[in-house]
Amino acid sequence: MITIRIPTPLRSMTGGKSEIEGKGASIGELIEQMNADHPGLKDRLCDEQGEIRRFINVYLNEEDIRFLTGKDTPVKDGDEVSIVPAIAGGAHD
Amino acid sequence: MFIIPSDIWEDMIDHARGHAPRECCGMLAGTDNRVTRQYRITNILAKLNEAELARFDQPKLSDLKQLAPEERADIAFQMDARELSQAQKDIRQRGIELQAFYHSHTMSPARPSATDITLAMEFEHCRAALNLPQPLHVIVSLEDRDHPVMRAYRIEASRATEVPVRRQ
Repeated sequence: MITIRIPTPLRSMTGGKSEIEGKGASIGELIEQMNADHPGLKDRLCDEQGEIRRFINVYLNEEDIRFLTGKDTPVKDGDEVSIVPAIAGGAHD
Repeated sequence: MFIIPSDIWEDMIDHARGHAPRECCGMLAGTDNRVTRQYRITNILAKLNEAELARFDQPKLSDLKQLAPEERADIAFQMDARELSQAQKDIRQRGIELQAFYHSHTMSPARPSATDITLAMEFEHCRAALNLPQPLHVIVSLEDRDHPVMRAYRIEASRATEVPVRRQ
């Protein structure tokens, strides 16, 4: 099993869970399986071309998958995947 | 005390001025509250589509939706995730640590807004999993264009506490 850490804004889609478990041979497969269990999650993570959205980082054991082989990055039992929206903010109204 | 060398301090202000009225953003790294390296990160807010804007808190989201995409960066920033990771990687390779995120407020004071606090807390909830040190949040205010103000804050438990910052 692979542990996937879910950021606060997406927890409404995982029944409030901050961690879920997933199966798959690659990050791409893991996302598909997560989406089957939690419909809509893929849309929140990936754009219309299926790429990870430009404000989201997906880390495999602390390394951004963009610097591995993206969604083809292989995963194995015991791995930890973290989904982290890049920092954002905004001025006072 | 958070220490920023003069050349980096000046570059942060140049960065803010160069992007005004849009907000700029970046990262500061070093050791023991002393900055040795600065990373300018692209504010990609104008590129976010309507669905992606939903990552902002409700009041800010309403404000953003009233603006044209190219104007949205006047009141908010979103760091480019790839550049952020690239900077993190460089920081790791240099054996230094993330010290702070920074951004500008072009028309308001150098203190965190409600949105800054909400989204900093969102990052805070993810940070431990990535084995990152707790960053400060530095804000460059251009409210008075001739006298920019820079302040640093620790944001935890949804509260911002100012940390004295010194130019050196």
